[in-house]
Amino acid sequence: MMKKITAFLLSLVMIFSLVACQNADTDKEASQDTSGDNVATEEGSNFKIGIVTPTLSVSEDEFRAGAEMVEKYPDIVKHITLPENFNTELETGISQILSLADDPDMKAIIVCSGQSGLLPAFEQIREKRPDIITIATMLDEPELMAEYVDISFATDWVRRGETIPKKAQEMGAKTFIHYSFPTHLAKEAVAQRKEMMEKTCKEIGLEFVEIITPDPQTGDGPAAMQQFLREDIPRQIAKYGPDTNIFGSNCPMYDVIIDEALKLKYIVAEQCCPTPTQAYPTVMNLEIDAEDLGNYDKINQLIAEKAKEAGMTGRLSGWAMPSSIYVPKFEIELAKYIIENNLELNEDILNVDFLGDFSEEAMGIRADFRPLDENTNNYYLLVLESIYY
Amino acid sequence: MKRLRVEAPQLIVIFYLIILAVSLKFIGISYIDMINESLIKWVMNGVLVLSLIPMINVGAGRNFGLPIGITAGLIGMCIALEFRLEGWLGFGVSILAGSLIAVVFGYVYSLILNRLKGNEEIVGTFAGFSFIPIMNIFWTLAPFKNRQMLYPVGGQGLRPKINLDGYFAGILDNLLKVDIGRLVIPVGLIFFFIVLSILVYLFQKTRMGIAMSYIAENESFVKLSGIDINRYRTIAIMFSNVLAAIGIIVYSQSYGFVHLYDGPFMMAFPAVSAILIGGASRSKATVFNAMLGTYLYQTTFLLSVPVANAFLIPEMSEIIRMIVTNGIILYAFLYEGVKRRNEKV
Repeated sequence: MMKKITAFLLSLVMIFSLVACQNADTDKEASQDTSGDNVATEEGSNFKIGIVTPTLSVSEDEFRAGAEMVEKYPDIVKHITLPENFNTELETGISQILSLADDPDMKAIIVCSGQSGLLPAFEQIREKRPDIITIATMLDEPELMAEYVDISFATDWVRRGETIPKKAQEMGAKTFIHYSFPTHLAKEAVAQRKEMMEKTCKEIGLEFVEIITPDPQTGDGPAAMQQFLREDIPRQIAKYGPDTNIFGSNCPMYDVIIDEALKLKYIVAEQCCPTPTQAYPTVMNLEIDAEDLGNYDKINQLIAEKAKEAGMTGRLSGWAMPSSIYVPKFEIELAKYIIENNLELNEDILNVDFLGDFSEEAMGIRADFRPLDENTNNYYLLVLESIYY
Repeated sequence: MKRLRVEAPQLIVIFYLIILAVSLKFIGISYIDMINESLIKWVMNGVLVLSLIPMINVGAGRNFGLPIGITAGLIGMCIALEFRLEGWLGFGVSILAGSLIAVVFGYVYSLILNRLKGNEEIVGTFAGFSFIPIMNIFWTLAPFKNRQMLYPVGGQGLRPKINLDGYFAGILDNLLKVDIGRLVIPVGLIFFFIVLSILVYLFQKTRMGIAMSYIAENESFVKLSGIDINRYRTIAIMFSNVLAAIGIIVYSQSYGFVHLYDGPFMMAFPAVSAILIGGASRSKATVFNAMLGTYLYQTTFLLSVPVANAFLIPEMSEIIRMIVTNGIILYAFLYEGVKRRNEKV
């Protein structure tokens, strides 16, 4: 009896909360809509850009980028999130994206998420609202994305196998060490990048050294891998000298790699996921004041100062901001520019030079875009400009 | 002297180590560097292994819930860092605060384990695993103010790793270093380890320690003698947790970073492997087991990766090491099982 009563009560609570929440939501949206309209009429322009990202716990970078853009353009950008476990709730994700298209003021929809399976949403948007510009960064087949999405961007992880050794050589490296481990090398992108690095090193005359570390994904965890790096890096530097570039394929490696670099003065041309916020703040004990949060220029400046103190100027490098923050912001700026200037999506916009210049102007960083292949002009792979500390 | 006997599993590891050591000669890594590193690695992980002993001896199994004690030590260090305490003061406060928290955690942990006697190992594994997400929430929400510890982007919550440079990194490693030619012996570090080991040893020799070892051997007999078993188990579990907290502080000062979040996730496994290789059984472990096991296990780690990198296809090195170390652990289990069965017959 008790059980039945509890079950009944619980279901009541659930129904109540469902209904209650829905009401609140519609109210809020309605009020937001009116306020948005007011501002829009005041300004004379009348458009919105919707951005869809994963939730904070799934991917901090994209979420924070979206949230920051809402702060920057509160009347234009509308930020919604995909369901937490998006792989099992694709339908919910799709309907969330489509809900953006119900707003008549919506002029562009941007989806930034490291997953696949959301393409049907784009198909339906194109049917329902052909005037909406769609921009996406997702993991679907590039060919399909080029077909259904107006413009797609992706970070070019494989090409970095070519750019990193070249950059290392420019910075003075004579040897290139690649640390990785079996479960990571089983991933295609990592393995391809490694092969590319090996090939490039051979072409430009760098000695390529491959070293396998204890595997963090089996048994002993990342601690064993990091301890190994602590022991092995001094050995390798003793063997090959400080004009050596060290690259590790796994993010947790960089705490040790950069820490040892400050002591042993070797070169770190680029991290595996290049960003000033990874490893550098920990290793250099950076104190970032509350007002400087998200201010990458300031963080980069702090790193450069510490690098100078350690006598490492010119031997550390990376990207000025993480690409997972850069890409959503860039996409919003691009959409805003296209809509404000009433531009058509044609060769004027869809070309490598324009995108590079626009990035420099709007974002303060140049990016090197490259189309997917000769026949595609709306899927770009990008590599960000380097910053030398 | 019976306790110091070296049995088949240890002989196999020692044999494997000798092979590795001989092959070192061919790849041009100096023995002296290796000995220096192995000594630091020995103590760095040794205290964590030592922390398993009280729980094994009271019959509460190998402590797979090690992350709980480790977390207490991490909180202790975070408290010291928050107040920017440097050097010995920071180290001391970390140990003090960590131990106090470990006592509290140990008490709660013992409440669970005392209700689930006989299944401590599997319960401990899950208790440890489920404790980590809870602590992840704590790390992100705890109101720490020292900006060297906070996330660089969001500015809220602790960084996954906090650098100890300028606080107490290497404070034990560099204490009383004795140089004999190129051989550097970290006397202070080893001394600290030996003091802790003696403490554990002496604890076993007290009345309480002796009673505890009988609990592991024959619980109903001890119960009939009028001893409150749960109280003894609680004390042993708290002691284990305090040692684990000190263990992670020793580990971190050597490693140079405080590793929060998922850092302690897998740390129970190398520690348990080490004590198994040292020859401990499910209900009996000695300080000697812990010391020998840690040295053998960590040194195999130290030697096998560079050797295999030089001799084999690089991708194979890691796989071979896994096969050898995990194989030895399996062998230690089998050896123990077979021995027990023979005793019965």
